[in-house]
Amino acid sequence: MTPLDPSLGLPVVYIVDDEDVVRDALAWLLRSRRLLSEAFDSAEAFESAALQRASEHAGGWPSAPACVLLDVRMPGLSGLALFERMVEHGWVPCVPVIFLTGHADVPTAVAAVKRGAFDFVEKPFSNNALVDRVEQALALSAQVLGQRRQRRQWDRRLADLTEREREVMLLVIEGRPNKLIADELHISVRTVEVHRARIFEKMGVKSAVELANSLRDAGREPA
Amino acid sequence: MFGPAGAPYFAILLNRPRPSVPGHARWRRSLVWGALLTLLAVAQGLLLMLTVSYESSRAQDQAEAVALEVASEAKRQVTRSIQDLQPLTWPAIGDIEWDVRADQLLQARRELLRLERRGASGNLLALSEGRYGPAPFTRLRRADVEPEVETACSAARRAATPAFTRSYYVPFEGGAGVEVMDLCVPLQIEGRAAGFLVATWSLPQLLESALAALPSSRHELSFIESDGSRLARAGALRGFGVYVAERIVDLPGRSLMLRADSAAGRPSLIPNLAVALVLGLSLALTALVLLLARDVRRRAQAETALAEALAFRKAMEDSLSTGLRARDLAGRITYVNPAFCAMVGFAAEDLLGTFVPPYWPQERVQEYSRRQASRLSLQPVLPESAPHEAQAAPEVVAEPIQQPVRAGREGFETEFMRRNGERFPVMIYEAPLVDGTGRHTGWMSAVLDVTEQRRVEDLARQQQERLQVSARLATVGEMASLLSHELNQPLAAIASYASACLNLVDQPDAGTPELLRDALQRVAGQAERAGRVIRSVHDFVRRRDQHQEPVSCGQLLEAVLPLVRLQARKSGTRIELMLSEPTPSVRCDRTMVEQVLMNLARNAIQSMESATPPPSRQLRIAVSQPHPRWVEFSLTDAGSGIGPDVAERLFTPFFSTRAEGMGLGLSLCRTVVEQHGGELDFESPAPGGLERQGCPGTRFRFTLPAA
Repeated sequence: MTPLDPSLGLPVVYIVDDEDVVRDALAWLLRSRRLLSEAFDSAEAFESAALQRASEHAGGWPSAPACVLLDVRMPGLSGLALFERMVEHGWVPCVPVIFLTGHADVPTAVAAVKRGAFDFVEKPFSNNALVDRVEQALALSAQVLGQRRQRRQWDRRLADLTEREREVMLLVIEGRPNKLIADELHISVRTVEVHRARIFEKMGVKSAVELANSLRDAGREPA
Repeated sequence: MFGPAGAPYFAILLNRPRPSVPGHARWRRSLVWGALLTLLAVAQGLLLMLTVSYESSRAQDQAEAVALEVASEAKRQVTRSIQDLQPLTWPAIGDIEWDVRADQLLQARRELLRLERRGASGNLLALSEGRYGPAPFTRLRRADVEPEVETACSAARRAATPAFTRSYYVPFEGGAGVEVMDLCVPLQIEGRAAGFLVATWSLPQLLESALAALPSSRHELSFIESDGSRLARAGALRGFGVYVAERIVDLPGRSLMLRADSAAGRPSLIPNLAVALVLGLSLALTALVLLLARDVRRRAQAETALAEALAFRKAMEDSLSTGLRARDLAGRITYVNPAFCAMVGFAAEDLLGTFVPPYWPQERVQEYSRRQASRLSLQPVLPESAPHEAQAAPEVVAEPIQQPVRAGREGFETEFMRRNGERFPVMIYEAPLVDGTGRHTGWMSAVLDVTEQRRVEDLARQQQERLQVSARLATVGEMASLLSHELNQPLAAIASYASACLNLVDQPDAGTPELLRDALQRVAGQAERAGRVIRSVHDFVRRRDQHQEPVSCGQLLEAVLPLVRLQARKSGTRIELMLSEPTPSVRCDRTMVEQVLMNLARNAIQSMESATPPPSRQLRIAVSQPHPRWVEFSLTDAGSGIGPDVAERLFTPFFSTRAEGMGLGLSLCRTVVEQHGGELDFESPAPGGLERQGCPGTRFRFTLPAA
């Protein structure tokens, strides 16, 4: 198990189950594996808490790696319905969902997995295997969260560029030499060099290749 | 197609009011006929009368006409003769010439017998006599009649016209004679009588010559006196004196009565009667022909109606899906319709006239014969007859058919066999067959094949049962799922805590013992919770034991037998009951034991459906008490038996030899019986001798505690 990036914060496992016995047992199990957990006795309670945190926290929710252990069958909003709403809120790739199912709910859970749930675990579950899956889910969450942060960083850097610098950068990424860029933009080669140095500085890269790779990795194509 | 029963059947079918000929109708009809004959007789009498009367009047008219004719002819001849006589009176004629002329005249006129020429004083001057007849005055002298002549002559002289004398009879030689009259013709010269001419007329000759004008008269003519005495007669025939006409012939100075008497007598009745008879007969014949024609027309109409009714009946019986069967009083089949033939699969020829019809199942022929005999011996309740007759009929032994006639309306159910040996239930409605004279000639039965109905009933029942089973299963399933959920949670929790404990033990630190203690407490709590769940289920199951109560075995069997019989009838299985006396009672959960009985009976019946031939299908249900504390139930069938491989797994849940079987029946049965403290076992082949070839049979036996 790869240790998680501590800069992302402590990972949290959210347990959503109407049975307090199950919640307590799972919390105990996770705690025995040094994992933080937070339990909710209904889908509604979980959703409202998450929404509140998303509004309080500037970087949105979740702020740290997280995953949800979700019981399929619950009074009120069912696990499946909650999953749909999480998809609507855009939480799902970042907050993986592991369904806890009874024997009869397996087909429902399979369908949910096809729609993007991380996994389903059939009750009664093999406990440490479940925790292993939880850790994998948390790792995925951390990865998604890291990517998201990096993307935001690049967005900020791109926003720092002036209009002319952005034009120069597009041509730099295409790999054109300064002379051609100067001809294209009807400016002097000297000016292009100054711009290029500024761009490299602002974007925190040392070469044009690094710049292009970083932008592609971050999924940000300068428009 | 139409059996001997056709004729009475028509009577029923057409249902036309029979000519029952009550007294008043007969009387009315004879009145009509009497009136017709009377009318005919009156018409004939009238006709006869008219004919006779016409004939009479015609004869009378003829007589009158003849009389008139002859009278006028006589008068004319006399007048002519008088004219011819005139020249002879002339005085200028000499004697010789007178003689010649007189002779000529006498020859020409035969009625003139004699001519005399007399002088003014009546003295005879000349005389001439006819030469054809005898001389008139031989026996009678002329002088004897001279006064008559003188009287006439004086009258003639006075009147200056000729005048006749009275007639008188002149006898001849040989007895004959002739009535004559004399005519005196006066001769006037310068107003004085100068002489006379006397002519003697023979009246018969006058009559003859007058009659000569009517050549073929069938009348007798005569001159008569006023007193009726006849003076002279003429004519070939004699008159009958029935149609008489009289006429006065005026002669100068004298008149004569002429009588015409028809030779035809009274019109005779006989020929007229014959004519009338012929006429009457032909009239009657005409009337008869008319009546006959009308009758023929009616007959033709009736025939058309009959043909229509026949065609209607044919169409009806062909379209009927209900089988019709008629039997005479001896029980012989006299009529079957196509639907019936189709139902039993035999041709009408195979059925007609048989006493024991081929559609009776062989093993039941005796029973059916007995039943038929008792039914046929009953009197039908005909509309006219008093109802108590039927009530006095003997009770029927074999089947619950006490009043077939009454029962006819509601019908009764029995079993027939098709040609291929298949048994099928039928519903029979019987009604008495009554012929045209109201005589009871047999029974007409409407036969309904109720196989389909039974099948639907069976199907409905089976579905009902299946539904009940699945409902029961659903309940069981729901309970199981509830139970598993209830148990799953504490077990899952325990597993989680255990895993957590292991994790803690693997990586111990300072807090570990405290954490372990906490976790183990939670494990204990959850284990206790699971125990409570198990206990509550156990309690629930144990609660059923409280329902045991003493029940009579008879009651138990009564509750299940209707359902068992229903199923048995479908496959033609007979059910034999052997209940020991006194009927034992058992302590049991009634519903559960009924289920056991139902299950075992159904298994037994179904085991016979495939291999066992219908006559051998028999289920024996026996109840006995071999021990004061135990009552034994046994169900013995003649089915295909249970092989050793099946026997091994027979009581295993969810094991079944049937495709649609649940495999729970026998295992549940055993559970129920064992819950009651009894035992359930089986033997195959079955002891007790029910087995047939290839069908060893099985006996299931279970015991229950006696109450």
